[in-house]
Amino acid sequence: MNRRNIKLLVAFVLVAVVGYNSVYIRKLSEVKAQGVGTKFNTTKYSREFWDSKLIPNLGKAIEVNQLMQEMHADKDRTFNTYAHALGIGNLQYFMIKGEGEVLAVNENTVTVKTQAGAETQNLQIETEYVYGNAVRDASGLLNMNAFDNTTEFNEVSAGINKIIREEVIPSFKKTVAAGSRISFVGAIELNKKFLDTSKITLTPVQVKFLTK
Amino acid sequence: MKRIINILFLLVLIVITGGCKNQSTENTPKKVAVIVSTLNNPWFVVLAETAAAKTRALGYETKIFDSQNNTALEADHFENAITSGYNAILFNSTDADGSIVNVMKAKEAGVPVFCMDREVNSTKAATSQILSDSYSGCIAIGKYFVQSLKKKGNYVELLGLVGDNNTWARSKGFHSVVDNYPGLKMVAQQSADFDRNKAMEVLESILQAHPDIDAVFCGNDAMAMGAYQALAAAGKANRVKVFGFDGADDALQAIKEGKVMATGMQYPKIMAETAALYAQKYFNGKRDFPQKVPVAVEMVTGENVRNYITKN
Repeated sequence: MNRRNIKLLVAFVLVAVVGYNSVYIRKLSEVKAQGVGTKFNTTKYSREFWDSKLIPNLGKAIEVNQLMQEMHADKDRTFNTYAHALGIGNLQYFMIKGEGEVLAVNENTVTVKTQAGAETQNLQIETEYVYGNAVRDASGLLNMNAFDNTTEFNEVSAGINKIIREEVIPSFKKTVAAGSRISFVGAIELNKKFLDTSKITLTPVQVKFLTK
Repeated sequence: MKRIINILFLLVLIVITGGCKNQSTENTPKKVAVIVSTLNNPWFVVLAETAAAKTRALGYETKIFDSQNNTALEADHFENAITSGYNAILFNSTDADGSIVNVMKAKEAGVPVFCMDREVNSTKAATSQILSDSYSGCIAIGKYFVQSLKKKGNYVELLGLVGDNNTWARSKGFHSVVDNYPGLKMVAQQSADFDRNKAMEVLESILQAHPDIDAVFCGNDAMAMGAYQALAAAGKANRVKVFGFDGADDALQAIKEGKVMATGMQYPKIMAETAALYAQKYFNGKRDFPQKVPVAVEMVTGENVRNYITKN
């Protein structure tokens, strides 16, 4: 082997080594698999969350008229004390409770007037469009980063809302009438920057009739 | 022998130079790269420029890299940022899957990556991801959509870039509500790549086959404005309801004028500033960042548009 061939061989080996270490191919499915856990059972998880965490903690909800009284006195402190939110932004959630008189049964909501001392507050109980993350987030009981991906976390909300649509609302809608007195616990969303307490919509978690 | 001495001399020189560099970097300001998917869209220009401005305000050197919606170019930017000694990357990805490998490269090089607005499909790559809660925002729009259409009618959906997670988060949020109403029928679903002109062309074409639609749901405001143009040209703007997403100035004005029904207000400045602040915290020693930080999206309609229309 002459000197020229040796040089060519060395050059070839060098190019091969550099080339081999510069390019690597991985299956897209493998890359996608990073961070994706086992199949998530939405129904089972939501039911367990409902039974073992959400319902036992409903006693911590703040009475709606007390919330409004504190809100009018000091908005920032009230948000800091009672609101829950997963991230950054103006939209925050509260778990509230109260008692009141049904003023009207509408197509998609039930209007309720609550009173505590001199403080009164009207709110709409949602009976049709139970979607979104109000209950999950108002509970303050779930950490988004404990879930492998955002889709699973959103599915928890879908599972909770399904329980509300199938188990809470039908019996309430069937019996409710103007003049009924009810007690309720549920979640509301308020915008901290553009606060409007005249239009509060409650996603119900628990509704009981005091008089029908 | 002389050649060996020369090589040894060269090696010693490299080691000495390297040592000098390490010493000098301790006194020079940290460098933060802002790598953004595109600067051909005003929304992303705001995102990138806010990130760079905040980074500079915090006392760091910064440079914006435009990936031009090209994952290969994005990979080059990451290589450059890593080899040029950038200490952190504020990142807006071109592709939720295709960008993972770039983020992983930075991670392996010890450079933290903070994602802004667009997610990468891995919880083990970026240091933290600050993202618009598109899914929840579109649930709110979906509810308003059903109410506005009184639970019945034919509609078209214009999707964004199919490789972007935000496209599907918005679509899924919307459908998680609307699909529960059998009276609402989606007659066409097509991508218009978040582009105004393309949205106009796509809707014009769809209107040929489906002239009797009642609404159009668009994955961003640029497409909503394009859809409105197509409807206006066809003389249907008054009876077809248009819904967008982003909170762009022209869409807010269109909502005020009754041309567009609703949009989802995003906050690119908050996301960019948060990413820059996270980089600062990282430099100061913090390591336990939440993997995902959602930023709330607020629905804007004719009822509350006055709150947003003067937004800077």
